[in-house]
Amino acid sequence: MPDLEKLRALAKETISRDDIKCLIGWRPGTYGYRTSPHFVRSPEDADQLIFSPLCSSNLATYLTLAEKRPVPRGAQPDTRKVAILVKGCDSRAVVQQVAEQGIKREAVYVIGCPCEGIIDLRKLEDKYPHTLERVEARWENGKISLDLPGGRAVFPREEIVAGKCLTCRYPNPVIADVTVGEDVEVRGSAGFEDINWLEVKNAQERWAFWRDKVNSCLRCYSCRNVCPMCYCEECILEKQNPAWIQRSVNISENTAFQLARAFHLAGRCIECGECERVCPVEIPLTHLNRKLVKEVSEQFAFTPGVDPEAKPLLVGYRPNDKEDFIL
Amino acid sequence: MSEKFEPNVVAFLCNWCSYAGADLAGTSRIEYPPNLHVIRVMCSGRVNPLFIVNALQQGADGVLVSGCHPGDCHYMEGNFLARRRFALMRELLNFVGVDESRFNMSWVSASEGAKWKDVVTGVVNNLREAGAFTEFPRKKIDW
Amino acid sequence: MSSKPKIGVYICHCGINIAKTVDVEELTRYAVKLPNVRVARDYSYMCSDPGQLMIREDIRKNGLNRVVVASCSPRMHELTFRKALVEAGLNPYYLEIANIREHCSWVHKDKQEATAKAKKLLQAAVAKVRFLEPLQEKEVDVEASALIIGGGIAGIQASLDIANAGFKVYLVEKTPSIGGRMSQLDKTFPTLDCSACILTPKMVDAASHPNITLLTYSQVESITGYVGNFQVKVRKKARYVDFSKCTGCGLCAEECRLADRVKSEFNMGIGNRSAIYLPFPQAVPAKYTVDPHSCLFLTRGKCGKSPKCVEACPAGAVDFEQKDEIVEFKTGTVIVATGFDVFDAARKPEYGYSDYDNVLTGLEMERLISSSGPTGGKLVLGKGDGEYVPKEIAFIKCVGSRDKSTGNEYCSRVCCMYTAKLAHLVKDKLPEANVRIYYMDVRAFGKGFEEFYDRVRREGVRYIRGNPSEIFKRNGKLVIMVEDTLTAKPLEDEVDMVVLAVGLEPRRDAREVIDLLRLSQSSDRFFLEAHPKLAPVDTATEGVYLAGCAQGPKDIPDTVAQAKGAASSALVLLSSGKVKVQAQISWVNEATCRGCGYCVEICPYTAIELVSVNKMGHEVNVARVNEALCKGCGACAAGCLSGSVQQKSFMDSQILPQIAALGGKS
Ligand SMILES: Cc1cc2nc3c(=O)[nH]c(=O)nc-3n(C[C@H](O)[C@H](O)[C@H](O)COP(=O)(O)OP(=O)(O)OC[C@H]3O[C@@H](n4cnc5c(N)ncnc54)[C@H](O)[C@@H]3O)c2cc1C
Ligand code: SF4
Ligand code: SF4
Ligand code: SF4
Ligand code: SF4
Ligand code: SF4
Repeated sequence: MPDLEKLRALAKETISRDDIKCLIGWRPGTYGYRTSPHFVRSPEDADQLIFSPLCSSNLATYLTLAEKRPVPRGAQPDTRKVAILVKGCDSRAVVQQVAEQGIKREAVYVIGCPCEGIIDLRKLEDKYPHTLERVEARWENGKISLDLPGGRAVFPREEIVAGKCLTCRYPNPVIADVTVGEDVEVRGSAGFEDINWLEVKNAQERWAFWRDKVNSCLRCYSCRNVCPMCYCEECILEKQNPAWIQRSVNISENTAFQLARAFHLAGRCIECGECERVCPVEIPLTHLNRKLVKEVSEQFAFTPGVDPEAKPLLVGYRPNDKEDFIL
Repeated sequence: MSEKFEPNVVAFLCNWCSYAGADLAGTSRIEYPPNLHVIRVMCSGRVNPLFIVNALQQGADGVLVSGCHPGDCHYMEGNFLARRRFALMRELLNFVGVDESRFNMSWVSASEGAKWKDVVTGVVNNLREAGAFTEFPRKKIDW
Repeated sequence: MSSKPKIGVYICHCGINIAKTVDVEELTRYAVKLPNVRVARDYSYMCSDPGQLMIREDIRKNGLNRVVVASCSPRMHELTFRKALVEAGLNPYYLEIANIREHCSWVHKDKQEATAKAKKLLQAAVAKVRFLEPLQEKEVDVEASALIIGGGIAGIQASLDIANAGFKVYLVEKTPSIGGRMSQLDKTFPTLDCSACILTPKMVDAASHPNITLLTYSQVESITGYVGNFQVKVRKKARYVDFSKCTGCGLCAEECRLADRVKSEFNMGIGNRSAIYLPFPQAVPAKYTVDPHSCLFLTRGKCGKSPKCVEACPAGAVDFEQKDEIVEFKTGTVIVATGFDVFDAARKPEYGYSDYDNVLTGLEMERLISSSGPTGGKLVLGKGDGEYVPKEIAFIKCVGSRDKSTGNEYCSRVCCMYTAKLAHLVKDKLPEANVRIYYMDVRAFGKGFEEFYDRVRREGVRYIRGNPSEIFKRNGKLVIMVEDTLTAKPLEDEVDMVVLAVGLEPRRDAREVIDLLRLSQSSDRFFLEAHPKLAPVDTATEGVYLAGCAQGPKDIPDTVAQAKGAASSALVLLSSGKVKVQAQISWVNEATCRGCGYCVEICPYTAIELVSVNKMGHEVNVARVNEALCKGCGACAAGCLSGSVQQKSFMDSQILPQIAALGGKS
């Protein structure tokens, strides 16, 4: 468990530096279990910073947004660094963004936060629905404890963390200019138990599973918007000339939308699980991502978001790539 | 079911090997089923994997992508790039429950008119077996 | 879109080739009903003059701005019909062909089915043609000169051919002299010509040719641009000898404090030279060079009271103030002729090359046996009092070739024959010597090779089939452990000398050239040709050609033949003076490009680069296609996530309607 005093002191020191324009971290939300992104621009702002099992959002998504806002006429773009707090998974987003030139390494100051797992709010809400008072949470001896309105509750990690944390192999940031807290033990297995059950079903059963899920997609684009790797200036999921996917919400366009989104993340998805977390209709997007993670790893021995120098997966090939599916 | 189901296949062929191989099948008058329709691209590397999804949406029962054999690509690397992309797209389609027979890929060289026939026949026969694509076609196809 | 599409559809009967199986009249009736189609006609031979005239007249009279021809394969007549469009004043890229012959009438029998398929193919062509855009065919001028990198026999020959055809040549050689490996050879198989005797005249020709600028002791620093227009920067390293003054008399070398104390690269370290030196007597140019790695004055800042060479030179040519010089020029083409390195025998420690003085490589043997070599051609080993004449001599072939453990799976193509040659030369010098050759196979494939191999065996050289496992010393003799695989008997062969027939490897500094020109390597790590059969001297980069062993191991005749091939390819460009740039190439929509560089990595022709632009006040990268380099494969377009790079005539907006037309029920 990181020491919040230390974190805030570090943030103060960081934001006071001349070469840093802003620090992105988390602060408590307005109610319940919620936390919010927090943009620290002055040392005082740093007092609200937190890092706890409730800090789910992947802040790396904000890094690529800066360039999308016009610089006011006559003004110079502020080219100072952005400091950012990252969990293990978030740090992989930073690495992958650097690898594919979405951001420049020297434009970010990465503050690593080793992470023992983030609470899946849905699991919590199942247990304690409609909690409005602010709740605090912390890691304690491999367990997670919560200060709930009705008193303290302690859960084994496995019971309450998000699915992505159970399979996480990078709880410690893979890139960091400075780290707060001690490295934690890697507990995620390298296997794919989370999707194996679905893979072993037959095609009809798999389609039946997905049809139901995909049918409910609202096409709100939240999954894409939140994804740290989806920072295209014009996304083909929305482009109308030519239209890859029509605007209408139905099983055909929804499926194409899901397949296109997942495929665009092949070899790029760093398994932060944000897409699934924000989906208002609880589509298990992680399954799609994980299937591709599995193929990418097994067929091409590739892991995105660990080496900022690595060439992206789909810009290259090996002459001996598997081709047993080719006639 | 009165008539036997005849699938509709959309195929993407590279200009230099597979399209030429299909031309050779023609010049050699090698007969094969008429269910497959070709879109010519310069290289299999041009084929965006999302074309497959799109073809299924737009009424194809199955899709074929065909290029030069590894090492023979007119542009050196296009078929290698394609192979990777389609290895993943294939797995993804399969995972959501699209029958494997609906997406095919082949290497057919300019001299393989006979192989072209075998590929087309095999793909069409498998799709006859699999039946019409009903999972997520568009209701109305507009071009 | 430039203007509302008005499409003409032309359906060819191809005699009865199409009409027999496809109901062309029905197809025509169908075509007129398709959106944007103004006219649809069928005719017996669309490609004939009257057929083309029909199209041209319709374009003029009916104001057509798009044409679809349903006929044979576009691979047959696309150009014919494009020309027809041009003649009628229409952009040639407003054309789409529906292949209803090779892909339809010739492969189907049932008329109904074939007609139905033809309709679909036609429909798809109409769907696409509406979205086609006019394209411009551009030409760029070709700078009338060539850069040749590497002054071995390949580079020399290519230079001479191009220079003789009247074009300017810049021949850049890394070492102080041109000549390459061939200058180190004694005799050449299979004819036993003296290597220097046939090479030296060519070296002199190259140096004195008015069209050739020789840049020796130089290195190419950068090459930018593209076919027809390469900008080249060459570093001429300081020789510390004034070229215009040096007469090549060699007095400096005689007086040098390190005279005969620096290992001679040319003699493979068997002989010595001075710190100021001429690599070999016939070197071209015949000018001396100070070796900065050994010269006392250059390494320690002091050479006695004053450098001996400076004192000795009667022409006052030695000049320690000299600096590297950068030469810049433009060329239209580049030929890479950087040759090879020999396999480092120390990488097969079992053969004791690093341990025993009497284990030599083939190239060292060439120097030892050469009359211009360190021993004057006497085949002796040892030094001073220890000097002796070997009597039992063994050769081992395929050292570092055909050997997975060294990473070289390939055959080096010359070792069989140079071993035979060296064995012959040994027998020639020491008729009493017993010479045997350990081999896996004998590959005597070239002109006169088998005959030469036969001759060498008749001269008493023994060929023993076996791959030695080890060489060690016993009682002052070398012992070769080997199994004779023909008799399946293990042997212990005691000899005085072993020659390792080391193979040819890519140069260890090949990276430099790869980085300069972004060349690719084949799996054997030699430079990759554009096509192994049909474009063996071309590379992926237009205007850049390969010659000699840089592309793969070969003997001198093959090297020269390839050099002439590369020269002729270069001359095609140079003499036409212009090069056509593809029209169906890619372009980038900079507004939506996110500068990820995927396309840059994907492009096999390095035709795309990232450039910095200002977007809404931010300096950001976007991709930009170099039109002269793009070959129009479209691989970039399929790899760009946001669809920002598109291949003209094969754009997403053109292919998606095709898919819709083919998928929809007609
Ligand atoms: C031991 C031995 C014996 C042989 N005997 C025979 C024989 O009897 N008959 C026969 O036909 N063949 C023989 N060969 C093969 C013959 O040597 C080659 O075919 C020939 O030398 C190939 O010529 P090249 O110009 O391609 O390469 P090289 O001779 O290697 O010349 C390449 C030149 O390029 C220069 N260079 C390299 N890199 C750069 C750079 N970056 N910039 C500028 N310059 C550069 C080098 O300094 C060199 O001068 C023999 C080979 C060996 C090893
Ligand atoms: S696809 Fe989902 S899990 Fe993957 S990087 Fe994007 S938001 Fe994270
Ligand atoms: S879905 Fe694809 S096109 Fe859209 S933002 Fe993500 S990566 Fe870019
Ligand atoms: S967040 Fe969920 S509902 Fe919204 S577009 Fe994505 S998958 Fe559909
Ligand atoms: S791949 Fe697309 S987005 Fe990326 S640099 Fe190239 S054109 Fe731009
Ligand atoms: S079309 Fe092919 S050659 Fe042209 S830029 Fe794209 S990848 Fe390179």
